[in-house]
Amino acid sequence: MDSSSAFSQPNFYDFLNRMRHPASADLVRAIKSFIVSFSFHTTDAENDSRKLQDFLVTMESTIKEHPLWAHASHEEIDSAVEGLEKYVMTKLFNRTFASSPEDVKADLYISEKIRLLQHFVRPDHLDVPRVLRNEASWLFAAKELQKINSFKVPREKLLCIMNCCRIINNLLLNISMSTNYVPAGADDFLPVLIYVTIKANPPQLHSNLKFIQLFRRQSKLVSEVEYYLTNLISAETFITNINASSLSMEESEFQENMQSAKIANEETVTGHSSVLQLSEDDATTMRRHGKEIHVNLEGCLYPFMGSEAKELTTEDVQQLLRLYQQVVTRYTMLTKALARLSLHEEQLLHIMKDPAGSTELKKEIEKRIHEGAK
Amino acid sequence: MGCSSSLPDRNAGRLGSLNNGNSMVTDSKNLRVKLVLLGDSGVGKSCIVLRFVRGQFDPTSKVTVGASFLSQTLALQDSTTVKFEIWDTAGQERYAALAPLYYRGAAVAVVVYDITSPESFVKAKYWVKELQKHANPDIVMALVGNKADLHENRSVSVQDAQDYAEKNGMFFIETSAKTADNINQLFEEIAKRLPRTTSSS
Repeated sequence: MDSSSAFSQPNFYDFLNRMRHPASADLVRAIKSFIVSFSFHTTDAENDSRKLQDFLVTMESTIKEHPLWAHASHEEIDSAVEGLEKYVMTKLFNRTFASSPEDVKADLYISEKIRLLQHFVRPDHLDVPRVLRNEASWLFAAKELQKINSFKVPREKLLCIMNCCRIINNLLLNISMSTNYVPAGADDFLPVLIYVTIKANPPQLHSNLKFIQLFRRQSKLVSEVEYYLTNLISAETFITNINASSLSMEESEFQENMQSAKIANEETVTGHSSVLQLSEDDATTMRRHGKEIHVNLEGCLYPFMGSEAKELTTEDVQQLLRLYQQVVTRYTMLTKALARLSLHEEQLLHIMKDPAGSTELKKEIEKRIHEGAK
Repeated sequence: MGCSSSLPDRNAGRLGSLNNGNSMVTDSKNLRVKLVLLGDSGVGKSCIVLRFVRGQFDPTSKVTVGASFLSQTLALQDSTTVKFEIWDTAGQERYAALAPLYYRGAAVAVVVYDITSPESFVKAKYWVKELQKHANPDIVMALVGNKADLHENRSVSVQDAQDYAEKNGMFFIETSAKTADNINQLFEEIAKRLPRTTSSS
């Protein structure tokens, strides 16, 4: 891969040093007022993106003309603009990253889905040729993707993606050199990348991709970098939409796999969150009984139902938040599932009051699931 | 099998922020062109590109980059250059829906089939229709029948492909990535057909 131009390490300290120079007072003022200007507007990713992109373009020409950069090479100018992007985006990170409830929801949805897919998706399901299978290399590639949240700057997040793709490409290259395997370009690359993405379950995948697309300097999102970013976007799209046919599975087999994955994951979750409240014995029982838990041990699962706000400790708040997140995620998924069955929550609750109604309902739901599967 | 793959573009307006107009950058003498490769898996898409990229300057060198994105610069007789940035796409059926992410903004689409496989020709026609519906309307399209060296197993006639290409305003050529037949001609012909908006500043 072309590593020289796109990913040479810009010297951030050099940028900061120049900014401390008295001659750069005008630049410093421009940067400060740009950052402050964000506080006058409500968060809007698209708008913020446009503002940032325009600002970087303007500043690039200002820097080119600036006495501090007189006789500077193209690389030095470029490095300065990289430094500027890093400085500004670090300041604006909290405002611009995963800023809308939709983004948060999309992140949760995809990571929950991957947590299920991890249980049963195999390289065969994605057309990864046998000769390419190399779990060790895949692990390294997955590690690169998992690092993505260690960085706040679009360029550095993008670098994690490029490193992941580079490792996959090296694997493909080594195999084609050491065997008779004829490299098949994207036919090989994309399936491996999707598999690695499922293995990695990178944190906040949706928000990270969106953030890079909106806030990486546009003139840097071209050519090879744009190609590999597009590949990860397409991996995300593929995973979001995965169904039985995209894995060449029978619908019933797919549903069964998803179901058992859900049960397996639930057991792990309950195991963690309830240990605090239960004695050793109770906790073991809970894990063993898996599914019944939610009905019978509501009190243990949601231990704060009878609490008063003033009783809560800091640790309680952390746990409360975690439970809250689990509950909201689950509730969102259930609402979606109901909508897919064309059922309304109130309708469901109403019917549940009447024991006879629930038998009817069960039949009706089975019918709709069956229809949906066709 | 082996050499083949193709992927789509990002038309489906995700964020609409990714540069739309950068598929072809012109400074009047030097063009930079985004070219997307489409076609069934197994038709030899990436072999064509590897042939083009490796064959020209240093046939002995091992590529040190990925085989799914490659770039190659062609010097033309009028002393202009065209830098092709070649975007390969995965040709397997399960990935077909992702193609628009890749062909969005492409200036050139090369649709490849295998002359010994009628199914791959059907698939090629599918891609042509997709591109006509969703790609940039000015896109230059080429229809390529690969594996021309296997003519004893031919099952798609030159006439059929030629007729189809003409009807759809495409350039048609048969190639062999194996023998390198017509590979450079393919890219030279594409270069000639690129719109030259001499919008030099």
